[in-house]
Amino acid sequence: MKNIYKLILGLFLLFTACETDLDQVPPNIASSDSLTDFTGVLNASYYYQLGSVTPMAVMGDFRADNALMDEEPYPAFDRFNGDLTVMEDQFFGPFYSALYKSILSANNVIINSSDANQIGEAKFLRALSYFKLVQVFGDVSVILTTPDIGDIPTFDLTRQPAADVYTNVIIPDLQSAMAALDNSELASGRATAIAAQALLGKVYVHMGNFGSAESHLAAVLNGAGSTGISLETDYADIFRIDNIENSEIIFATQISSSVIDEYGFSEFWEWYLGQDTKSPTPLDPDLVSAFDASPGDLRRAVNIDEVALRSPKYTQSGGPDHNWIEMRLADVILLYAESLNENGSSAEVVLDLLDPIRTRAGVVMLDHTVLNTQALVRQAIQDERRLELAFEGQRWFDLVRTGTIDIEMGEAINPNYALFPIPISEILASDGVITQNAGY
Amino acid sequence: MNLKTKLTLIMMLCSSIVIIAQENYTLTGTVVSAADQFGIPGANVLVLGTSTGASTDFEGNFTIKVKNGDQLQFSYIGYVSKTILITNQTELVITLAEDANTLDEVLVVGYGTRKKSHSTGAIAKVEGGDVAAIQASRVDEALAGKLSGVLIQNQDGAPGSDPKIQIRAASSINGNSNPLIVVDGYPISGSLATVNPNDIESVEVLKDAASAAIYGSRGANGVILITTKKGKKGDPSFSYNTYASISSRYLNDNINMTAGEWANTLETGIANGTYDVSEVDPELLNYRINAYKNSPDVMAVEDWLFRNGYSTNHDFSMTGGTENANYFASVGYQNTEGIVITQDYERVNARLNVDTKLGDKFKTGLSFNGFASERGIVGHDMRDLLRAYSIHPIYHTEASIAFVQQLDQQGQNLGLDPFDNGYRGGDAPFNNSIYTLEPGDTAQDWHYGRSGNGIGGSGDSGPATKLDNTDQYQKTYFANVVGYLQYSVIDGLNIKTVLGGDLRDTQDYFWRGLEFDSRARSNQTRLNQIDVKRSSVLSETTLNYAKEIGKHDISAVIGVEFQSLYTNGTALNGTNVPYSDIINYNLLDPADITVTERDETIVRKSIFGRINYAFDNRYLLSVSVRRDGDSRFGANNKFETFPALSLGWNVHNESFYNSDILSLLKPRFSTGSLGTTSDLGAYNSLSLLNPQQTAFGTGFLIPTDVANSDLTWQTNTETNYGIDLGFISNRIRLSADYYTSDIEDILINQSVSEVFGTTSIRLNSGDVRSSGLELELTASVVRKEDFSWDVGANFSTVKTEITDLGGLDELPRVIYGQSGRGPVFRNYVGGEIGEMWGLETSGQVEDSFIEDPTRAVGINSSAFYVVDQNGDGVIDKTKTVEEGGDLVKIGQNTPDFYWGLNSSISYKTFDMSFQLQGSQGGEVWNVDPIYYNSEFGGRLRDSFDADDDGIADHNGEHYLDSNNQLDAQVQDASYVALRNLTIGYTVKPDWISQVGLNSARVYVAATNLLYLWGDDYTSYNPEGVEITQSDYLGPTTYGVQVGASPIVRSFTFGLNVNF
Repeated sequence: MKNIYKLILGLFLLFTACETDLDQVPPNIASSDSLTDFTGVLNASYYYQLGSVTPMAVMGDFRADNALMDEEPYPAFDRFNGDLTVMEDQFFGPFYSALYKSILSANNVIINSSDANQIGEAKFLRALSYFKLVQVFGDVSVILTTPDIGDIPTFDLTRQPAADVYTNVIIPDLQSAMAALDNSELASGRATAIAAQALLGKVYVHMGNFGSAESHLAAVLNGAGSTGISLETDYADIFRIDNIENSEIIFATQISSSVIDEYGFSEFWEWYLGQDTKSPTPLDPDLVSAFDASPGDLRRAVNIDEVALRSPKYTQSGGPDHNWIEMRLADVILLYAESLNENGSSAEVVLDLLDPIRTRAGVVMLDHTVLNTQALVRQAIQDERRLELAFEGQRWFDLVRTGTIDIEMGEAINPNYALFPIPISEILASDGVITQNAGY
Repeated sequence: MNLKTKLTLIMMLCSSIVIIAQENYTLTGTVVSAADQFGIPGANVLVLGTSTGASTDFEGNFTIKVKNGDQLQFSYIGYVSKTILITNQTELVITLAEDANTLDEVLVVGYGTRKKSHSTGAIAKVEGGDVAAIQASRVDEALAGKLSGVLIQNQDGAPGSDPKIQIRAASSINGNSNPLIVVDGYPISGSLATVNPNDIESVEVLKDAASAAIYGSRGANGVILITTKKGKKGDPSFSYNTYASISSRYLNDNINMTAGEWANTLETGIANGTYDVSEVDPELLNYRINAYKNSPDVMAVEDWLFRNGYSTNHDFSMTGGTENANYFASVGYQNTEGIVITQDYERVNARLNVDTKLGDKFKTGLSFNGFASERGIVGHDMRDLLRAYSIHPIYHTEASIAFVQQLDQQGQNLGLDPFDNGYRGGDAPFNNSIYTLEPGDTAQDWHYGRSGNGIGGSGDSGPATKLDNTDQYQKTYFANVVGYLQYSVIDGLNIKTVLGGDLRDTQDYFWRGLEFDSRARSNQTRLNQIDVKRSSVLSETTLNYAKEIGKHDISAVIGVEFQSLYTNGTALNGTNVPYSDIINYNLLDPADITVTERDETIVRKSIFGRINYAFDNRYLLSVSVRRDGDSRFGANNKFETFPALSLGWNVHNESFYNSDILSLLKPRFSTGSLGTTSDLGAYNSLSLLNPQQTAFGTGFLIPTDVANSDLTWQTNTETNYGIDLGFISNRIRLSADYYTSDIEDILINQSVSEVFGTTSIRLNSGDVRSSGLELELTASVVRKEDFSWDVGANFSTVKTEITDLGGLDELPRVIYGQSGRGPVFRNYVGGEIGEMWGLETSGQVEDSFIEDPTRAVGINSSAFYVVDQNGDGVIDKTKTVEEGGDLVKIGQNTPDFYWGLNSSISYKTFDMSFQLQGSQGGEVWNVDPIYYNSEFGGRLRDSFDADDDGIADHNGEHYLDSNNQLDAQVQDASYVALRNLTIGYTVKPDWISQVGLNSARVYVAATNLLYLWGDDYTSYNPEGVEITQSDYLGPTTYGVQVGASPIVRSFTFGLNVNF
């Protein structure tokens, strides 16, 4: 009898097979081929813009004559030679990978989503991403699909000429976005039709197509009032941390202390505030002189602190909550003025446009009898842009597009160094198909 | 003759006979072996009860003085002893029979056992006693240097950390090489840390494919079989082992100079022209030199960081049994202090093995193993701690505070910034001025000025601040229960079923406080707690048959196995931890805590079978097949079959074989196919969208894996040619094995452009070929009653070549190291895995070109002259010489060969053993000197290269900063180590039994008593390799060293007692 029980026990052990299903899926994570609602993917596309913010800010102001680096090897930003490649890990690398992830997320939404509004937002983000990439690197690889594993080895990664990227990708995307979007989401920080149009205008300015730029920017300025966009009365109010959703912002990348982004180095306000040991006193004396040439300018106190030699523009009290302004109304006005000037409008008409900005800044209006040539007006607008948009990541890219790098920086700079170096890991990973920019 | 006379005569005769009988006479004879009737040389002949003895000569002859009535004992290792009563024989021929028990020692192979004489595979065995004799806290440490073909490398140096174990060649390009670990038949999901070395009966390592193939898809990295002690019939017997040891770092001299020593070097250098200070303000120069020389109470960082560690170990076991049941139980405790402060390791483990017989037919048993450990880990990268300038005490004293304030005043007089301006941290309660310092406060770099005056270094927090404000530990709890039931169906055939489970719970904790960061940035604080439970359940049923029918010896096994592995984990990552004495998640803002969960299941099912056949102990054969299915693979490829075959021939048993010298001659051949899953996660064939909090709600991030339904395992086909030789009745044994293996469908983490949203994709493409030679020698040099000497040696080489990369010539090159400082790793067809490439340097730029030599302690030019390989005037570090650039091969971490030598001698009651181990030909790219010497570039004067064209003006050579891919950082990682030296004394049996003990032994031992490394190696541990950075890609990026914990030398005193 005992034996039989033992036998039964044995058989019991024998047949205790565990789970036998070889098709296992995780219970708590979604799988990409089963997705039907693409809201999450679109949110990720916005999220990835965060990785481009600080690099662009540092490139825009530290490379130019607004700010300086102090401790090696960071002063490579202030030199114009091949040294800059050492900054790849902290700036160009994360910038590049974040933007391409934003592009891929956007591609996913554009191809697979059935919601026209989502597609519009995705196209805006894709265009914004490519625009940033082209400004920084020049020619870039273009991807407009969501490749699967079989496509990857044969995908053409050759860098497309910047002009082609503008014409084939950025402009069509923005035009679609303008058509698909409305302006209801302006306050929440999502893309809107007016933001798409403003960006399109800016893109045309960068391309040198001032004719198209003029018409789009005019439309933006006309439509601004009805969408609730207007200049803040006080310049300081634009950047106050308790006034993040102010009326001047057309589009900003949302930053919040409760969203941990993947960029792990010092953030843009830390650089401007001199909180990074590599540049404790970042203010470039050249900017101080520029403000000296504009006596009584109320923007001076907001933008620079001559005693501590830094910029108090983005004060932090309680954590990273400053949004990064991609486009604001003052920028549009200046671009519009510039486009009119290039298209031959009279100095009087052009300079009058700048009045609201000048009034807010507490300085005298520009005199069209003194600044009476196209060249003088051009210079005046550029100087105004510098003071108005200081520490907003704009200065260097303005110098590049107007071809005034040498004049403003005060030294003869090899034109190769208008662009930034492609991350070396990309060159290696693509087996040389992706090439490095000349000079690096 | 009258009666009286006759009686006297007879008595005299008798007495003379008796006298004659009591006299010693010389006996001669021969001792022969029963098997072949040849003489046995070196056999022992002993007159029992005396110390009179002799040994047989080379032909087996002996002479000895004996007297009538003596007992003469003949013995020889491997033979059954014989005792003869002397009754006036003058010549004897003694035949000794082979002792089947010792010659046919049994090897544990997968799912069964095999007689050693019938074994055809490459299996290495270590006895449990040899493992326990090394006082290692872990089994794997004890195995180092004992086995050919098994390379054990302690990459980290910290106590309790897992070493890397590689059996033969690396079988995966991106995954680890960890072998499968089977304890008493159960493949555990832990590492060898959970096995107490004192519990081990034997360790068998299955090296070749044919032996490991029975483990199918997990056998490609080799298999380590651990058999723990089982009970024996008899009264309970107990054993207690204990030892205490003291450890310190092997190299007691500091590598880095203190500021005072540096000042002397600087002054001497300035005086003799080595340094040119013409471009340095003389007042600043004097200021700095005085600061370096006169700084009071300086403590070298190395003296603060490294200490003597104490360690104790206790182990208690008991064993016993009756006719029907036997048991083995043990309890162990160890507490080790590491040689680096905050580093320690404590563990407790317990084991119970019970085996019972139920009647004639049933056998059943239960094993239980429990383990708990806590490991204190140094909370911050050692390289970063050691790079601080040794200019100040670790904690301020009155003298140093006064000095610092004085230095500030002097500096201000020279026009430098006040030191307090260098403070970038937070406000109260942090100290923000040197004028409010108290003795006992930690010294920071900014107290001595910032980069403005060049004395205070980087302005980072001082090393004590960093270490005092981090805390890291790991707790592990592990339990394993296995039960079996075996039923003997008929003679030779039994059915056995095993059911078991194990559970391993690991908790990792990491805290970094606000004070850690010199700028008191809240977002640099961390409070991380990761809790992972891995468990597995195994059910296995086998049918075993073993029978000897005449000259045929057959054993066969067939079985099915089901295993499920579960991983459940939660990770809490918090930031913005407020400054407080209490560390608690409740003090954090909920928005600052990120929670990640993990819930994974892997399911495996298999069927396998094996037949072992031996004919007349001469012809040997083994065939096995296994078919595995695994849920990790793509939908198209879930199952795979793994066959193996091995053959052997005991030539020495042949009738035609006739040799005195070669007593064992056994050629072997084996071939088999195995798989490996070492590199795969549970869901790698799927594309998973991780959720992430964004400003607009939940976002789905770009998947890190791209879906691949063709994902399958790597198949490793290996062929092994071996030969076993034995000399002088097997007193000397030599094994030689040569193997070649071919791994196909290798899983490669192929770097892709980030245009695709991920840095790498995983593909089965590629082929790697490896080969190696292994030699193992064991010799009983002397075998006498009271003196014995055994020697063992092993030697292994391994060579790997990539033969195919699925259409690519080369995997994308990767620069791996620390913050971009590292070699270029190339993995290309025709090369080895993980080759390090870089630029060749022809010397360091001379110190005389340093613009300001006082700027950093231990400064050097931080630049090297680089060779322009093709003379084209351009240094191109993205192309090899063949491609028109300047990259050349600069090193490789895999050694040319590794070896071990061990010896044990026992003389009467003393025993001595030592273990030597070495590795030759490996190289390591050492990042540490770059940081210790502040080699950050920008140190050269402008006139060195006035036109900034990368070519030195004075000699026309190209030069580059240290933070490029230069061969100047490649150092020799070869070493020879006297891993262990033990001298023991066994207390004499007579008097200890009066105390109730069976035996007692005391011993002293030293670990790493002697450790020699290459001349150009400049850090603490040539075995250290960095593998923890987030972009680590396995063996393809293996060979960079970043701050490895030093080699530990320890002295131990221990006691073993049996009663």
